[in-house]
Amino acid sequence: MKQNAPVAITGIGCLSAAGMSLKDNMASLFAGKRHVAPPERFFSSHPVSYPVFEINEDPPPERNKDENFTRTCRLGLAATNEALLDAGLESQGMTGLKAGVCVGTTVGSTMNNEEFYRDYRRGMHPDMTIIETFLKGNPAAVIARELGLSGPCQTVVNACSSGTDAIGIGASWIRSGICDIVIAGGADELCRVTYNGFISLMISDDSPCRPFDRDRKGLNLGEGAGMLILESDNFIRKRKKPPRAFVLGYGSGCDGYHLTAPHPDGKGLKNALAYAIKESGKTINDIAFINTHGTATKDNDRTEVRVLREMLPDILFLSTKGYTGHTLGAAGAIEAAFTIACLETGMIPANAGFITPDPELGASPVTLNTHISKKIAISDSLAFGGHNAALVLGIERC
Amino acid sequence: MNINEELKKIIVKDLFLEDITWDQIEDDAPLFGDGLGLDSLDAVELVVIIQKYFNVEIKDMDEGRIAFQSISSLASFIKERQST
Amino acid sequence: MGIHINGIGVVGGFGAGVAELISCLEKGTINLKESPSGSPGDYASSVYLACTACLENFVQKRALRRIDHFSQMALLGAYLALQDAGSPSLTEKRTGLVVCSGYGASQTTFSFLDSIINDGDACASPTMFSNSVHNSAAGHISISLKLDGPCLTVSQFEMSVPSALLSACMWLNEHRVDQVLFGAVDEYCDVLGYCWQRFFGEGNSGSMTPLSQDRQSAIPGEGSAFFLLSKDRSPSGYGVIADVDMGRLDDKGISPSEDTIFIVGADGHKCCDRLYDDFMPPGAEAACYSPIYGSLPIGTAFDMAIAALSIRERRIFASPETVSDQAKYMIIKEASRIAPTSITCLKLARDSGFGTITLANG
Repeated sequence: MKQNAPVAITGIGCLSAAGMSLKDNMASLFAGKRHVAPPERFFSSHPVSYPVFEINEDPPPERNKDENFTRTCRLGLAATNEALLDAGLESQGMTGLKAGVCVGTTVGSTMNNEEFYRDYRRGMHPDMTIIETFLKGNPAAVIARELGLSGPCQTVVNACSSGTDAIGIGASWIRSGICDIVIAGGADELCRVTYNGFISLMISDDSPCRPFDRDRKGLNLGEGAGMLILESDNFIRKRKKPPRAFVLGYGSGCDGYHLTAPHPDGKGLKNALAYAIKESGKTINDIAFINTHGTATKDNDRTEVRVLREMLPDILFLSTKGYTGHTLGAAGAIEAAFTIACLETGMIPANAGFITPDPELGASPVTLNTHISKKIAISDSLAFGGHNAALVLGIERC
Repeated sequence: MNINEELKKIIVKDLFLEDITWDQIEDDAPLFGDGLGLDSLDAVELVVIIQKYFNVEIKDMDEGRIAFQSISSLASFIKERQST
Repeated sequence: MGIHINGIGVVGGFGAGVAELISCLEKGTINLKESPSGSPGDYASSVYLACTACLENFVQKRALRRIDHFSQMALLGAYLALQDAGSPSLTEKRTGLVVCSGYGASQTTFSFLDSIINDGDACASPTMFSNSVHNSAAGHISISLKLDGPCLTVSQFEMSVPSALLSACMWLNEHRVDQVLFGAVDEYCDVLGYCWQRFFGEGNSGSMTPLSQDRQSAIPGEGSAFFLLSKDRSPSGYGVIADVDMGRLDDKGISPSEDTIFIVGADGHKCCDRLYDDFMPPGAEAACYSPIYGSLPIGTAFDMAIAALSIRERRIFASPETVSDQAKYMIIKEASRIAPTSITCLKLARDSGFGTITLANG
C-alpha cells in the first residue's frame, strides 16, 4: 500500500444543534455552549426523558413547492449549499462537470414511519405520500438531482461511521479520476424510532452525555449534516481556488466480533487508523489531535482510549459529541468539518461533559480550549456491526 | 405454571433459542458465558422481557448483572420486585 | 477496470446456487411460492421468495438464532460465492466486504415497530433494533467469516448495485484490498406488498411480462447475489468487469461497445420499462431475465451473475417467453452457444437515472 495523493477540500458546510453553519458551530464549541434538552418534535412514553441535541431552527424549505423532502434531505441540502458557497461554486452551476455525491445516513434511508405503519396494521388506508417521499428521498440522489449532477451517486449506510466513510470514498473517486468534484458528507435527522432503539440497548444517558468521564452512562442522540466539497487538482487549478484543507488518508476495518459491542481490543479501529496514517505518509509526531468517536457509552470510550493509548499515546484527544450529540450517519462528516476548522483556528475546544477522569481508561480528553500548532489531525468513527473508519485531515498539502 | 418454568419458556421463545427446549434449562445454570451462552445483546433483551411479561423495571446493567446469573436468581429478583 | 469475478453465490425464488439458477434459465420459468398468509391486501398472491435452509451447511443453526431472513439470505449468498471460488483464504489476503440493498432489513424494521406498538416504548426490542440497521447483513457476514478488512454498505434503490460495485472496484484498483466479497440483498415483506397494491392496483396474478408497454406485470422478488472479486484471475473465473457507470440519462447517453449484448433490467414496472425503448440503441441484441428472479431493487446483481455465467459457459440463455418482443431492438428468445465477448447489464430508474455494468472475457 502506497502513500496516496492528498485530495483538496475547497468548501465545508455544517449544521447541528450547536449551530446552523460551521462558523456558528465552532462559536458554540469554543464558548462551551451545549444545546441539549428533552425532545420537542416527538413524544415518548418512557418514564424518564432522555435528552437530545435537536435543531430547533427549521432547515430551509424545498425550492420547488411541489417537492416534499425528508428532514434528513433538507439538512443535507442546507449543508451542501453552505459548502458550495464556501467553495465559490454556488453560482457556477454544476451541470456538465464530472461531479459525484457520496453521503452517509442511517435514518435517511430507513422506511420506519410509525404513523403510516400503525394505520396499516389497523387495516386503514394510510396516505401514501409518506412512502413517495421516502422513495424520492435517497439523500445522495436528492442532492445530485437538485444540482443537476450526473456522476457517481452513493448513499453510504455504514451506521455511525457513514459520514467518515463517505468522505474517504469520495476522495477515492477524485484520485481515480472519475470525478473532478465530489460532494461528500453525511446527514441524519432525529427520529422517535431510533431514540427508542438506543434506549432499548441501554446505551442512552438520561442526562447530558459525558464522553470519557468516569460516570458516563451513555449517548445522547443528535441530528445534523456535514458536507465537504472535494476537488481534483486539475479543477482547482482551472478555478484558481486555493483549497481549505486536504484528505490525506482514509482507513476502514471490521472487528468481526459483535453486532453492537466493539471488539474489546479495538482490532478494527487499529486497522483503520493504521491504514489511514500510512496512506497519509505522515507519522504520529505530525498529529495535532484526534477528534474521537467518543459517544460516552462505557464500551465505546473504553475501547477507543485503549487503542489511542497504544497507537497514539500522548496525543491530545476530545469528543465533540458533547456539543452535537451522536448524529449517526452525519457524525463522521460533522466531525471532519470540526477537525478542519480546529486546525485552521489553531485551537481545539474542551471536551464538553467531562468532569472526572476514569481510572479504567488511563487517559483523559482536553478539559480546556487548547492551542495546537501542528497542521494535521485524525477523525475516527466506530459503528454498529463492528465497523471502524478513520480520516487523516490536514490544512497543508505536504 | 411456576415462575421458573414461565421464564424458561419465554427465554427460549423470545431469545430464539431454537436448538434447546425449555425443560433442558437448569434452574441454577449460568445464563451467560459458558452456561446458556447468552451475550450482552441478550442481556438488554432480557431487560425488555422482564418489563414486558412481569412489569418489573431494571434500571441499569449493574442491577441486571446480579439478577441474570441464573433462572433461580432472576425468579427471586422478579418475586422480590413484584411484592414491593 | 479489469476486475475478475472468481466466484458467484445466488439465492432467490429460483433456488440457491449457480446450478439452480442455470436450471431455471434453461427452463425459462420458475415455480413461485405463495406470499405469506394473513397479509392485508397483498399485491400478488405469489411472490419470488427465497429459502435459506441450506445455510446450515455452512453455519451452525445456533449461530443463526438472532439473524433475520434478510441477513440469512446475504450470509448464504456470501458462503455460496466463496464455495464457488474454491474457498480461498480470507486472512492471507486483505479482504474487503461491500454489500448493497435497495430497502435494507425492512421486515425487521417493522418488527421493531411492532414491539413498540404492541407493548409500548419501554418494550422496544434491542435485538430487532440492532438487526434493523442497514449494515446488519454486512455485520453478520464479517462476524461469521471473521473478516477484518474495510466494509461498506450502500443503499441507492435501483442504483444500489452499480453504485456499490463502483466502490468495490475502486478499492481493488487502489490496492486497498486484494479481494472483495461484493454482494446485494433485498427482501420481500408484507408492507412492500401492501404498498405495491396501493400504487399499482390489484397487481399481477399471472406471469411477469417485462417490456409490455401497457401492462403492470412486476411480481415482488427477494434474494441475494454475491461475487468474489479480485485483480487476479482464478482458473474457474467468470471473466472481468470491464466498466461500471452510472448517471442521468438526460445528461449523458449510454455509449456501449458495438459488439455488446445487453441484459436489460426491465422487471414489469410499466413506468420504468417504457424508458428502455428510448435509450436502447436501435438494432441492439438484448436479453431480459427478470421473470426468473422477480422485481426487486437489486435485480441488476442477478443480471450480473447471469452475464458472468454466459461468459464463462460461452453461451447465451434465452429470455423467458413472457418477455415482450421489441420493435427497436431484438429480445433474445433462443439460447445459443455463441460465446459473448461483452455483455452490458443496463438498469434504468424512474428518475431517469441509469446504471451499466459491462462484463467481458478475462
